[in-house]
Amino acid sequence: MNSIIVDFLEKALVSDYVSSVLVPSGGPDNTFPWTLISDVSALAMAEPVPPVMYVQGAKALASFTQSMTEGKLLAVMRPCEARAAVELSKLEQIDLDNIILLTMDCPGAVPLKEYRRDAGIQPDISIPETIRPLCRQCTEFTSAGDLCLAMHGGLREVLPLTPAGQELLDSLGMKAEPDTSAWIEWASSLKAEREAVSTENRKSLKKAYSGLEGLVEVFSGCISCRSCRTVCPICYCRLCFIDMKDRRCPASAHLENSRSSGAARVMSGTLLFHIGRMAHMSLSCVSCGMCEDACPSDIPVGRLVSMVSAGTTAVFNYSAGSDPEDPLPLNTFRLEELHEYED
Amino acid sequence: MNTKTSVLVSESSIGDTLRDLLGKLLENGEIDSVFALRETRQKGRYCYSLITDPTLIREALPFHPVMPVQGARALSEMTITEPFGRPVAALLRPCEIRAFVENVKQSQGSLENIFIISCTCPGVIPASKLLGEDREDVLANHGGNIRNACRTCTGFIPGPQADMTVLLASDEPHDGTVIYLNTDRAVEIAGKLDSLSRETGKPAAELTSGISEAREKSLKDLMRDIPAPADGLQSLVSLFAACIGCRGCREACPLCSCVLCDYETARTLHSPELVRSEAKRKGSVRVPAGTLQFQLGRLMHISPSCTACGQCSDVCPVDIPVSDIFIRAANLVQESLDYAPGRDTDDTPPMATYLEKELLDITD
Ligand code: SF4
Ligand code: SF4
Ligand code: SF4
Ligand code: SF4
Ligand code: SF4
Repeated sequence: MNSIIVDFLEKALVSDYVSSVLVPSGGPDNTFPWTLISDVSALAMAEPVPPVMYVQGAKALASFTQSMTEGKLLAVMRPCEARAAVELSKLEQIDLDNIILLTMDCPGAVPLKEYRRDAGIQPDISIPETIRPLCRQCTEFTSAGDLCLAMHGGLREVLPLTPAGQELLDSLGMKAEPDTSAWIEWASSLKAEREAVSTENRKSLKKAYSGLEGLVEVFSGCISCRSCRTVCPICYCRLCFIDMKDRRCPASAHLENSRSSGAARVMSGTLLFHIGRMAHMSLSCVSCGMCEDACPSDIPVGRLVSMVSAGTTAVFNYSAGSDPEDPLPLNTFRLEELHEYED
Repeated sequence: MNTKTSVLVSESSIGDTLRDLLGKLLENGEIDSVFALRETRQKGRYCYSLITDPTLIREALPFHPVMPVQGARALSEMTITEPFGRPVAALLRPCEIRAFVENVKQSQGSLENIFIISCTCPGVIPASKLLGEDREDVLANHGGNIRNACRTCTGFIPGPQADMTVLLASDEPHDGTVIYLNTDRAVEIAGKLDSLSRETGKPAAELTSGISEAREKSLKDLMRDIPAPADGLQSLVSLFAACIGCRGCREACPLCSCVLCDYETARTLHSPELVRSEAKRKGSVRVPAGTLQFQLGRLMHISPSCTACGQCSDVCPVDIPVSDIFIRAANLVQESLDYAPGRDTDDTPPMATYLEKELLDITD
């Protein structure tokens, strides 16, 4: 899979249709830093589909694409990363106009901490134990972005998903029109399987940690490192609501809490932070699992946000990152509100 | 009066003695609350708690060998806007006291009404090691499992801010409990606890000289083996290669108290245009940029006051030896500035000294 993508990137870069490429590369100590490449020779180090996720691709992309004026960029990322990029473009953090997103049939990613202990583990789509809990229940493991490398159903082909993707293929003279029926069958059957897994998992998660009491329990081991927030591609706020001054909880407030129950946890705001984050994330969470990978306390924080998100997105009939034209529900309100004032 | 060697002794275990003592102090109104570790509803996960109900003191885990949150960070949160109005007994490890003293100097908290009970510290176990099912075994082999930072910690006897010091780490194993009374307040409080007997004992330093030597040696090894910025960037690049940019090290550090980190500001963030033009010029660049800039910047900001607690390493999800690097730099910097964080509440932090000098320069 890696070599097919590297060949494709090389072709695109040489053709001058794209002027740069964003792709993970092999780094020291089994790492895969995102690299922005404009020189073909630097592709020698490219590892387009590394076994783990160190930094969510959309986060890497957003670090330099708030406005894109000169030249086209071809970015290779996993489907969940591409979906996050689409969300970030709606949130005006990425300018997708000159960006082409290439995804693939995603094999999933190895849990980061496990990989750091044993870099020999490779993600295997058919062995759930090798991939992260959120990957095991991921139903959007393919066909995100503008192009997708299909690796199943007898295919080894980059398929166009949007006019922008088609245009790139055309300009590279890649005209193949393969029979995709077996691939589509593969994807729908895996999707059905994963849907069952995810419904089951969400059910048991809800049961294990139901209501406020349940949330208190699951987050009781949270050490407030806020890593889940920092690594999340969607949490882009410069100043998080939880860090606002009036959220500081003074000694007297802690004492009051303590008097009402006899003893109160210190480092307040844990639950407020998580519930707030869930609310903020719930429309745009792409279930990428990055937050969970980063959590030093092994809290299933990604699965929880993803569970809440499944509910909210159903209410709004919205699907994060799937369609760049589909406006964020809150953005629609914002526009409607503006118009209301005009009237 | 030499109160240094005045001790309280009891035949019971340290945990029971302290719980008993704290419960009594709460009951007779000598203190209003207790700041101590408790286990949460999930096994192997702990949190600091403020306990006001004397019957709930049984849940307190005095000096349980884990530091889920640096105690100074929790105390700072509570006292940054107002001090405690009534006395609270806080169970803190020496590095937590040092960090809180630094917080207080930087107006990030107040020591008022805090009665500190500390210990000769044997070190804590990385929190992540206690998440698994094998936690009992890990706890049983305490010495073999402590943090790197604790292994090299030479400041394991608390400073003068500790009112009481429990003899926890000592060269010779000892039964029962020995508590040093370091301050007049401690002596006064001890006078009200008739269940414990007063004796005179050898100073803690004398009973822990072997530990001290071993720690000195480990620290020397660390100073020799861990690279510093002066050794060239390459070694640091590979040390931080796996950094995922989660900034957990910064959030957990009791001394990183900036509301907006300098390395998240417009001054230090690389502009998108710069990143793209660098990629063009060099052929390729790593993104997001600024991993090492953040680490080196934090190193510069924190090394004068780093209290060598190891919390930053503890939270790192990819096991980068962050605190080793900080401790090494801190040792060099603090020596050259002749500054010891947490030594004395009246010591002016290095930055503040410059500030005063600057003011004088301008007024001259
Ligand atoms: S969640 Fe996992 S399987 Fe799904 S797209 Fe992301 S990495 Fe791939
Ligand atoms: S909340 Fe977690 S799973 Fe959802 S987008 Fe953010 S990092 Fe990914
Ligand atoms: S990463 Fe984990 S421990 Fe840190 S704030 Fe998030 S949930 Fe809490
Ligand atoms: S830099 Fe690390 S070791 Fe030093 S005070 Fe901060 S958390 Fe502790
Ligand atoms: S905690 Fe570790 S991974 Fe996170 S920013 Fe610090 S060094 Fe990097």
